[in-house]
Amino acid sequence: MRGPAEVTDGPARTDAPARGRALARSITPVRRRWIAVAVLLAVACSLPFQLVPFRVFQFTMVMVYAVALLGLNLLVGHAGQISLGHGAFFAVGAYAAAIMLDRWDLPYPLTLPIAAAVAFVLGLALGLPAVRLRGLYLALVTLAIAIFLVPLLKRFESVTGGSMGLTLAKPAPPAWTGLAEDQWLYFLTLAVTVLAFLLAHGLLRSRVGRALHAVRDNEAAAEVMGVRLPFYKTLAFAWSAMFAGAAGCVYTWVIGFVSPDSFVVTLSITLLAGIVVGGLGSFSGPLLGGLFVMFVPSISQDINDAAPGVIFGLLIIVVMYVAPTGLAGLAGRVARSTENILRKE
Amino acid sequence: MSTDSFLTISDLSAGYGDARVLHGVNLSVGRGEICAILGPNGAGKTTLLRALSGAVWTRGSVRLDGAGLARRSPDAIARRGVAHVPEGRGTFMPLTVEENLRLGAFTRRGRGEVEADLDRIHGYFPVLKTRLRQVAGSLSGGEQQMLAIGRALMSRPRLLLLDEPSLGLAPLVTRELFRIVRTINEQERTTVVVVEQNAHLALDIAQQAHVLESGRIVLSGSADEIRADEQVAQSYLGYRV
Ligand SMILES: Nc1ncnc2c1ncn2[C@@H]1O[C@H](COP(=O)(O)OP(=O)(O)OP(=O)(O)O)[C@@H](O)[C@H]1O
Ligand SMILES: [Mg+2]
Repeated sequence: MRGPAEVTDGPARTDAPARGRALARSITPVRRRWIAVAVLLAVACSLPFQLVPFRVFQFTMVMVYAVALLGLNLLVGHAGQISLGHGAFFAVGAYAAAIMLDRWDLPYPLTLPIAAAVAFVLGLALGLPAVRLRGLYLALVTLAIAIFLVPLLKRFESVTGGSMGLTLAKPAPPAWTGLAEDQWLYFLTLAVTVLAFLLAHGLLRSRVGRALHAVRDNEAAAEVMGVRLPFYKTLAFAWSAMFAGAAGCVYTWVIGFVSPDSFVVTLSITLLAGIVVGGLGSFSGPLLGGLFVMFVPSISQDINDAAPGVIFGLLIIVVMYVAPTGLAGLAGRVARSTENILRKE
Repeated sequence: MSTDSFLTISDLSAGYGDARVLHGVNLSVGRGEICAILGPNGAGKTTLLRALSGAVWTRGSVRLDGAGLARRSPDAIARRGVAHVPEGRGTFMPLTVEENLRLGAFTRRGRGEVEADLDRIHGYFPVLKTRLRQVAGSLSGGEQQMLAIGRALMSRPRLLLLDEPSLGLAPLVTRELFRIVRTINEQERTTVVVVEQNAHLALDIAQQAHVLESGRIVLSGSADEIRADEQVAQSYLGYRV
């Protein structure tokens, strides 16, 4: 017996839309993610050869912020805690690197693990008492950390350079690479960013990641599953501080200058806004947040030179209104509806 | 009362902040037994289970197989083999069914064992297997209850605490759930304490039962004795004997 369906679906007669549908079906969400990552990496690698040095610098800073936001995402998006003081850990990483380069002349690759470790230990020490607090109280205590940092940096002038800060030589591109300084810094930052994303991804897929999600979604239930709340909350705080510290270290490499005024409380608030706007708990949230934190203030400046802060604030409100789950959620919605249209086609 | 007491609760008081809810509760549960806790709303049944799993303040003593549990933290008690299926199920809504189940095995290390246990849970609740990648919040109430029990079993508990497993479930689903609890109890020798409004069902699977009123045990006995008690029949079984 030969039904009509068999005739029309025969290989010889396969029409283009059907092929498109079959292709769309074979792209599973996991595969889609890997394809997206590969495309993103390819674009990222070609960028510094397409853009002028200033733009290359801006994208380098996007990645620096993304690494810091990755850490904040771990704490806020995945563990459900809050920090209004993450700029402090960023600053600690930046200063740790600057001091190592300035006083001890350490080779700069070595400053990254050390700066990250210093921020981790500090996160552990400050997190231990802080995580016993919740919500507003935790917000306030973390804010206090950011507030007392700047005077502290100015106070220890002999090490930190006081209000003058420290000026350092930027890592020079090795001759064999044939790269300009901005390109070399860009690729260094890209390498650190990829490493940071892999690390965070691995962490979240492990037992620790499951514990953090459980704490975020239902503390009481997590506890009766045997999750030690203070331990995992402190760990989340420390890991998160570590990423912020690593980002600070790379910041020092890229800028070649640290001063207390670069790390005022606004930085902490901007970082928190960045991850909320980017998309809490999502993979692409830190990247989108990095783009937002880097570009929106300068775009605001172009729109209205007098009050860039107003435009920045308004844009945060607009994004949160249009996309309550952040830019990552918005991007996901757009991708899904385009796909649906393609499938119906 | 059983000679081989596995869970021994003596003079247990518990409550929230200033409010004391339990007033000197004494009871013991034999190894491998099912014990039903009955009582009116607000009697303190949920509080009793919370006291056992360390979620509320307590005074007095709780011993599991001789080891003291009282005043330990909930996670420490969980590591000692107590699994609590709370009132309202305590599902991690945004996580997948599989992630929820794996969280149940959080206190355990052996990877191969956990995989084997996932299979075991699928055996009891086949519907969960078809929903593994689904977000737990999208399950029906009955499926969520199965997930909650399955998740508790993933820890290979020595003591399973069930708080009103029938809440919000269709009668047929409830009966099936109780049949499975009975099977688990028989096959794995898991000791069970079950709080239940549906006294019939609870008494059908339990060996011992206790009636709690205003934070005190007012009646204890074998399931058959409790079923035959006129007072209980009027208050909880809905008929006069
Ligand atoms: N979180 C809480 N804080 C303060 N009091 C509470 C809390 N939870 C319960 N109570 C009080 O403790 C008493 C016993 O509550 P519990 O939940 O243990 O009752 P129950 O026997 O489980 O009732 P039900 O059958 O309705 O579930 C009630 O009077 C209640 O008001
Ligand atoms: Mg109750």
